Amino acid sequence: MGLDVGVGGQVLDLETAVKDGILGGGGGIGVGGGCGLISTAAAEKLDLKKMIEELEAVEVPSVFICPISLDPMRDPVTLCTGQTYERSNILKWFSMGHYTCPTTMQELWDDSVTPNATLQQLIHTWFATKYSAMKKRSQDVQGRAIEVLEILKKAKGQSRIEALKELRQLAAAHSTARKSLVDNGGVGSLSSLLGPFTTHAVGSEVIAILVSLDLDYSGKTNLTQPAKISLMVDMLNEGSIETRINCTRLIEMLMEGKDFVSENVSSLSLLVGLLKLVKNERHPNGVIAGLRLLKAICSHESLRASIVSIGAVSQLVELLPGFKADCIELALHILEVLSTVPEGRLALKECAKTIPNMVKLLMKVSESCTQLALAILWAVCKLAPEECGALAVEAGLAAKLLLVIQSCYNPVLKQRSAELLKLCSSNYTATNFISKCKLTTTIQ
Amino acid sequence: MGSLCSKQRHFDKPENEENGQAAEIERRIEQETKAEKHIQKLLLLGTGDSGKSTIFKQIKLLFQSGFGEAELKSYTSIVHANVYQTIKILHDGSKELAQNEAESSKYIISSANKDVGERLSEIGGRLNYPQLTKELAEEIGSLWNDPAIQETYSRGNELQVPDCAHYFMENLQRLSDANYLPTKEDVLYARVRTTGVVEIQFSPVGENKKSGEVYRLFDVGGQRNERRKWIHLFEGVTAVIFCAAISEYDQTLFEDEHKNRMMDTKELFEWVLKQPCFEKTSFMLFLNKFDLFEKKVANVPLNVCEWFKDYQPVSSGKQEVEHAYEFVKKKFEELYFQSTSPDRVDRVFKIYRTTALDQKLVKKTFKLVDETLRRRNLFEAGLL
Repeated sequence: MGLDVGVGGQVLDLETAVKDGILGGGGGIGVGGGCGLISTAAAEKLDLKKMIEELEAVEVPSVFICPISLDPMRDPVTLCTGQTYERSNILKWFSMGHYTCPTTMQELWDDSVTPNATLQQLIHTWFATKYSAMKKRSQDVQGRAIEVLEILKKAKGQSRIEALKELRQLAAAHSTARKSLVDNGGVGSLSSLLGPFTTHAVGSEVIAILVSLDLDYSGKTNLTQPAKISLMVDMLNEGSIETRINCTRLIEMLMEGKDFVSENVSSLSLLVGLLKLVKNERHPNGVIAGLRLLKAICSHESLRASIVSIGAVSQLVELLPGFKADCIELALHILEVLSTVPEGRLALKECAKTIPNMVKLLMKVSESCTQLALAILWAVCKLAPEECGALAVEAGLAAKLLLVIQSCYNPVLKQRSAELLKLCSSNYTATNFISKCKLTTTIQ
Repeated sequence: MGSLCSKQRHFDKPENEENGQAAEIERRIEQETKAEKHIQKLLLLGTGDSGKSTIFKQIKLLFQSGFGEAELKSYTSIVHANVYQTIKILHDGSKELAQNEAESSKYIISSANKDVGERLSEIGGRLNYPQLTKELAEEIGSLWNDPAIQETYSRGNELQVPDCAHYFMENLQRLSDANYLPTKEDVLYARVRTTGVVEIQFSPVGENKKSGEVYRLFDVGGQRNERRKWIHLFEGVTAVIFCAAISEYDQTLFEDEHKNRMMDTKELFEWVLKQPCFEKTSFMLFLNKFDLFEKKVANVPLNVCEWFKDYQPVSSGKQEVEHAYEFVKKKFEELYFQSTSPDRVDRVFKIYRTTALDQKLVKKTFKLVDETLRRRNLFEAGLL
């Protein structure tokens, strides 16, 4: 290598300096196989900018960092004060009219900037080494992933589970492993392990891997067979919370496939399982995943009656007060879609908490939530104007509606609110109604 | 009465000895109760002919020492009985069809076999059957091959032709051998109505030898008599294995020839699900006789059964079989959720596709059942 760095009087060779972390580069350069440092010529070929970008997550030695931008320097220049900066940054500093050294605050007696060739080479070499190490690790990971995939083809019993666990770890930690799996028929292999006789132990590992991969059209189609979905539904009902969420997410991914038919997710066991997830407040991730899949399933008109039949409406309505904003929106969306079928409207009407909870949510969370809550109230009140209208008014609907009309910019919302107000107030005389509304004096 | 007896004292025995005995008995009872608690009880339920007893036999073959020679020998008379019963049903059936059907000629037995048929029918009606000799076997064989009988066999679903008919008829030579000893397969096919309750205790040993679960499997008879009186005795069972023969959608009951078997199964399943004693019990639904279902679906549309009247075929061949199976499965699933009150929704409910005669399949299926039950235990113990 031949580059000697003088550090505190000692003369070291560059390799040692970088390897032993003298430059504060930290451990991790130790690359096996004699691939220690790349020669300067080769390093030059690698574009420094690209390497810096790809190594974004790595901790860069402080001496390589420009004090102005706090980014690694690509073209370091030194001032007469001995401080080094990125050329473009210090020139910009000068162009703003400053002739001082930014870090020492000294006035410059010499405005020349000297390119610091030594530092530049060091930076380049350091990044090149880190980069090649990363690439090698990545290759190792890729290689290992393919290896394990081969092992999986023949492994049975406990060794199969061990192989799957390793594959899962690789896929979780390295995007290169994931890509490698997909490129080498991993999806098909994993998919073939899923069937009516797959044990839970195997199935849960396979699902965990699949859900982290980028599945293409044929991969999704392959997984959308009834027996495999059946297995996923079973695991969704029986597995640990992590497995439940994985199954939910995977099914959601499959629903995005072109050939997906509603029949594939029509299983009542699936719907019941999702509802259980949604009710489990100890695991908010599960709640959100369950709501998202329910929303996706709702989009299929033929499945709405099934969802209502398992009691989803009243359960969702009753869960609303305890939900966070993002869950509220999803739940309201589902309820609104369900209100488009007669069974849904009936269930909404029969649930005692529907009207009070909807009224409370008006103007409380977001505009879209208000819109959804309004639509639901409209559906219910339209079904039984006298009965529901009265309940709504008792729950304080009128004041909220007036608020919407006054403060919302959305003309559609305003119109809907006005219509709803009219519908609910049609049974009262004007004075009666106003008194019932318990309005504040200003609004009155 | 009871209290009177207990007040009796054996004043001749020294008190210490008596106390010692009582303590020993109590200790034994406590030990047994504790051991009992760890035994998982499984109850096989289902209508007659659903395959419960076959599953029972399979478990015996898989996890116990199987059938010893003596036990195998004991099945000889049952196998022979099945042969006589079968040929009688076919013979009498052909006569009935010849009388009632428009195309009666195809059900008329050839003159060569006519007398043989009458004789066999008489034998089949007796309480005790004769030994199956080579001569008798030949006669039965020739009658079986009579075109009229084969025509009758194709209408087997309207009569009470047992599912083992074909298997035994094709093996007559072997069955009638002087030194005939039933094979495992013969035993699995053999049909005898289960009366009372039979039970076996076993421990499935899988790859994970530490499994250590002990199961006790109960098989009760399938017919409709007085079920409600004894069902509550099974409160606290870990799981109910409900067998439903999905191939019987076009068949009628043995006890009531006007009742469709599938409808009967549907009613029973509903009834069982609603029983208070099974509130927390796991339900394993075995959709059985898939091999027969596979063959039947191509020729007999599902909608002959009222429960499946809304079935629409979409394709043909293997795909159609799968589609039909998924339809039936969905129907059972719907029925389960309709019959399960919201507070019981936490019950484990799983559906398995089975062919009870296939030992490998039963083994695989039971492995899954075992896994599910073990996970359930961990879950209930708060460890999952």
